[in-house]
Amino acid sequence: MEKLLEQIEEISFPANILKLDNGLTLIHQYMPTTPVVVADVWVDAGASAEPENWWGMAHFLEHMIFKGSKQVKPGEFDWAIENSGGITNAATSHDYAHFFITTAANNLPNNLSLLADILLQAAIPDDEFYRERDVVLEEIRGCYDDPDWIGFQALSETIYQHHPYRRSVLGEETDVAQHTPNQMRCFHRTHYQPENMTVALVGGVEREDALSLTTKVFADFSVRSECPPMVVDAEPPMTGIRRTEIYLPRIEQARLSLAWLGPGVERLEDALGLDLLAAILAGGSSSRLVRELREEKQLIMDIDSDFSLQRDSSLFTISAWLESERVEQVEEIIRSRIAQLQATPVTELELARCKRLLCNDYAFSTETPGQLAGLYGYYNTIAKIELAAIYPHQIQKFDRLTLQRIASQYLSSDRYAVTILKPC
Amino acid sequence: MLSQSSNLVRTINNQEKYLRSSVFICGSKKLVTNNQHFDYPSTTLRLRSGQALRASAQCKQQIKRLVLDNGITLMVTENPTADIVAGRLFFKNAGGRWETREQAGLSHLLAVTLTKGTEKLSSAEIAERVESMGASLGTDAAADYFALSLKTVAADFGEMLKLVGEILRTPTFPTTEVELEKNLTVQNIRSQQESPFNVAYQGLRDAMYPQHPYGVSILGEETTVTQLNTSDLQQYHQTYFRPDNLVISLSGRLLVEDAVKIVEEVLGDWSAPPGGYPQLQLPRLEVKPCRRVEPQDTQQSIVMLGYLGSSVKHEDYAALKLLSTYLGNGLSSRLFVELREKRGLAYEVSALYPSRLEPSQFIAYMGTAPENTAVALAGLRTEVERLCNVELSEEELQGAKNKFLGQYALGKQTNGEIAHIFGWYETLGLGIEFDNRFQEDIAAVTPEMAQTVAQGYLKEPYISLVGPEKSIICS
Repeated sequence: MEKLLEQIEEISFPANILKLDNGLTLIHQYMPTTPVVVADVWVDAGASAEPENWWGMAHFLEHMIFKGSKQVKPGEFDWAIENSGGITNAATSHDYAHFFITTAANNLPNNLSLLADILLQAAIPDDEFYRERDVVLEEIRGCYDDPDWIGFQALSETIYQHHPYRRSVLGEETDVAQHTPNQMRCFHRTHYQPENMTVALVGGVEREDALSLTTKVFADFSVRSECPPMVVDAEPPMTGIRRTEIYLPRIEQARLSLAWLGPGVERLEDALGLDLLAAILAGGSSSRLVRELREEKQLIMDIDSDFSLQRDSSLFTISAWLESERVEQVEEIIRSRIAQLQATPVTELELARCKRLLCNDYAFSTETPGQLAGLYGYYNTIAKIELAAIYPHQIQKFDRLTLQRIASQYLSSDRYAVTILKPC
Repeated sequence: MLSQSSNLVRTINNQEKYLRSSVFICGSKKLVTNNQHFDYPSTTLRLRSGQALRASAQCKQQIKRLVLDNGITLMVTENPTADIVAGRLFFKNAGGRWETREQAGLSHLLAVTLTKGTEKLSSAEIAERVESMGASLGTDAAADYFALSLKTVAADFGEMLKLVGEILRTPTFPTTEVELEKNLTVQNIRSQQESPFNVAYQGLRDAMYPQHPYGVSILGEETTVTQLNTSDLQQYHQTYFRPDNLVISLSGRLLVEDAVKIVEEVLGDWSAPPGGYPQLQLPRLEVKPCRRVEPQDTQQSIVMLGYLGSSVKHEDYAALKLLSTYLGNGLSSRLFVELREKRGLAYEVSALYPSRLEPSQFIAYMGTAPENTAVALAGLRTEVERLCNVELSEEELQGAKNKFLGQYALGKQTNGEIAHIFGWYETLGLGIEFDNRFQEDIAAVTPEMAQTVAQGYLKEPYISLVGPEKSIICS
C-alpha cells in the first residue's frame, strides 16, 4: 500500500481529509452545483468486530440506533429527516456499519445534529430492543426465502473456515434471540467512538461550514466500555476443492458458484487486478464466459463474476444460473478457463476493453453526492480514503503479464470452494 | 456494456450487507440483466423534496424540446457537471400495453433480441462495439413503452448514437438468437416462482386484470413465449419502430445544437412508413375483489392487498400518489410505524402505486412470520380502511407532501434519471410541464380530497397470500 500511497501525491484528489482533535475523520467535498448534501457516517464496527457468540449484534445495533437517544424519541429522527424532504437509511456488513442522510443543504445543521445524537448517545431502550428483535428475526426469515442468499451464505461458510466472513452478518435466529440490551450497550460504547468513525460530507456545503458543524455535533461521545475480546484464528490454506451441495425445494434453477480468496486491502494493486480479471471473464456480452457459455454453447441462463474487496481477505466469485444436469460440465469449463488465464496472457484487445469498461463505470458511479460519500467512507473505513481516487489510474497501468501473475497467484483450477444449489 | 460488469465501486453496493429498510427489488437481483422484468414500479417515481431543494433543482434543469421534420421528439438537458451523456430513447404507444394476451412477452422478446444483429453487424460485433467504448446500452420493455438506454463519456456519444441508429432501423432478429432468448426467457419466467413476493404479486395482478395486458408479466407466459418467432418480431418492429413514435431524451455534457446535429445525421433520413397505426383495444376493467391463496413452504408469509387505482392522467392520480406515500413510503410512513416499529410484525412493509397510462394498482404488502399472517392481514386492512374512514390531519398530510416532493427532487440527480423522467413524461403524453404540474397537484391535495379519493378507490381489497398452507388458509 505504501507504494500506492506515494503515487497518490501525483493525483489531484477532489476531497479534503480532516482529522478532528477527538480522532474523528471528516471527509469533505464541496459540489457547488447541487443543493443536496449527503452525510454518510461510517463506523468501524461491522459483524467482524463481534465477540464470540454475539453474532448479529452489529446489525441489530444498526437497527436500534434509530430508536433514538435521551434527546430524540423513537421515530422522531425518521420523521424529522423525511418531513424535511430528505432520505435516510443504514447498512451493515462484515467490515462496517454506516448511516446516511440525503438532505437539502439548509436542513443539514438540524438533520446532522440529530443523526450525531442518535449515533453517539444511543439509548437502546429495553422495550424497543425486544420489539425490534422481532423485526430482525423477520429480516432473517425473509433471507431464508431467497435462494441466492442461501447460496452465498453456503459459499462463505465453505471458503472461510474460521474468519468472521463465514458468518451471516444478520446472525442466526438463535443468536439474535439471546442478546441482551446491556450487551448491545456495551458493544455500542466500545465501538461508536471517534477514532472508529468517518463522516463523509459531500454536496452543497462549504468546507468551513462542514468542519464547524461536524466538530460541534460529533463531540459528546458515550462513556467508553470494553467488549469481550474477539479472536480470529488463522485460515488454513486451501489444499483442494471444498465442495458444498444443497438441495432446495422451491427453486427452478440450479446455481453453481466458485470462489477464491483474494488479498486484503494491504495489497490493493493485486485486488484491482482481480477486478479486471472478473471483467475479462464475465463483464458484459463480449466477456469470455458470457460469450462461450451463454451465447455459443448455450449451457447457462446467466453468469456473473464478482470481485468483492474486504479488509482482511477479499472474495473472487464466479456464479452461474443453469439447469441441474449441466452443472458438472460448466464447472469443468470454468476450471479450464481459469487454467487458461494462468497459462496464457489475455489479449491486448480484451485488456483495453475491460480497462475502459471499468474506468467508465467508475466515472458513471461517482456522479452524485451520495455515490461519492459512500465511496469515500467505504475506502476510509476499510483502508485509506486516498485509494478511492487511485482506482482509474491504477486500472490503466495494468499490463498482460501482471494480470497473468495475479491470476496465477490467487486463482487456481484445483484449489477453490464451490457451492451448488439444486432443486429437489 | 450490454449487461452487468463488476467493479469495485459497484461492488460496494452489491456486497453482502443489510439495509435497515429494504429497497424494493422485484425478482432476484442476480438474474436481472436489463431491468426487463421490473414490470413493477422500479422506474416510477422514487420521489421529491422540500422547498429549497425543489426550487434550485428546477432552475438547473433547463430542458429544450423540439420536434424534427420526421416526427422525432428530441429533448436535451445540458448538464456539463460530469463527462457523461445519458440517453433514453422511448417508443411511445409500444410495450406491454399493446400486446395481445396471446402474444404476451413479445415486447420483452424484442428487447432481448434487438441488439443481436443488424444488416451489417453480428451480435458479437455489436457487443464488442459498445463494450470497447466502455459504454452501456440497455433495452427495456415496460407496460407503457419500449425504451433503449445508453450512457457514454461525452466524446463517444456520436459514435454510440450511430450504432443505436443502426440497431433501431435494421435489426435482423436472427433465428438462432431468437430461439436462444426464448429459452432463456422461459427459464426466467420459471425463476420468478422462486420469490414468494413475485408469486404473491402475480396472483394479485392476475386477479385484478383479467384479459388485460397489465395482468401478465412483461416476460409473458411460458405458453405464449414459446409460440413467438422471428416474423412476429419483424412485424412488431415495423409497426412500432418509426420516427414519429420516438422520443429521444438526452442529458449530460453536450450542447443542444450538437445534439440536434448528431440526431439529424443519424436519424434525419428515417421517414415514417405509410399506413396507420393499430387501434388499441383493451378490455374494460371492473372491480371484483377476490382472494388468491398460494400455499408454499416458505419461512415468511407474504400478505398483499391491491386496489384498482386511477391512470396517471386522471384527476385523482395526485391524491392517490400522496395517499400511497403517506401509507407506505419510507421509515416514517404509517405502515412502517404502526406495523413494524410499534408491533414488530415485519421487516419489509410498504405501499406502492406505480404511475401507469391505464388504471394502476394501489398496493400495500408485507412479509411476516406464518403465525402472524392473520394479524398482518387485519393490520394492513385496518390501515387502508382508516384512509377512508378518518380525515387525515393537516400535519400528517403536510408530512407526506414534504416527503414526496423531497424524494421527487432527489430522484433527478443523475443524468440517467433526468433523461429518463422527462423522456418518460413526454412518452406518456403528459409533457415536460407535468414535472411542475404534478408537484403543484400534490401540494394542492387537502385532507378532505384525500379522504374522498380514498373512499372512491380503497373500499374492498383484492387479497393475495403466499405462505405455509395452514397459516394462509385460516387467515
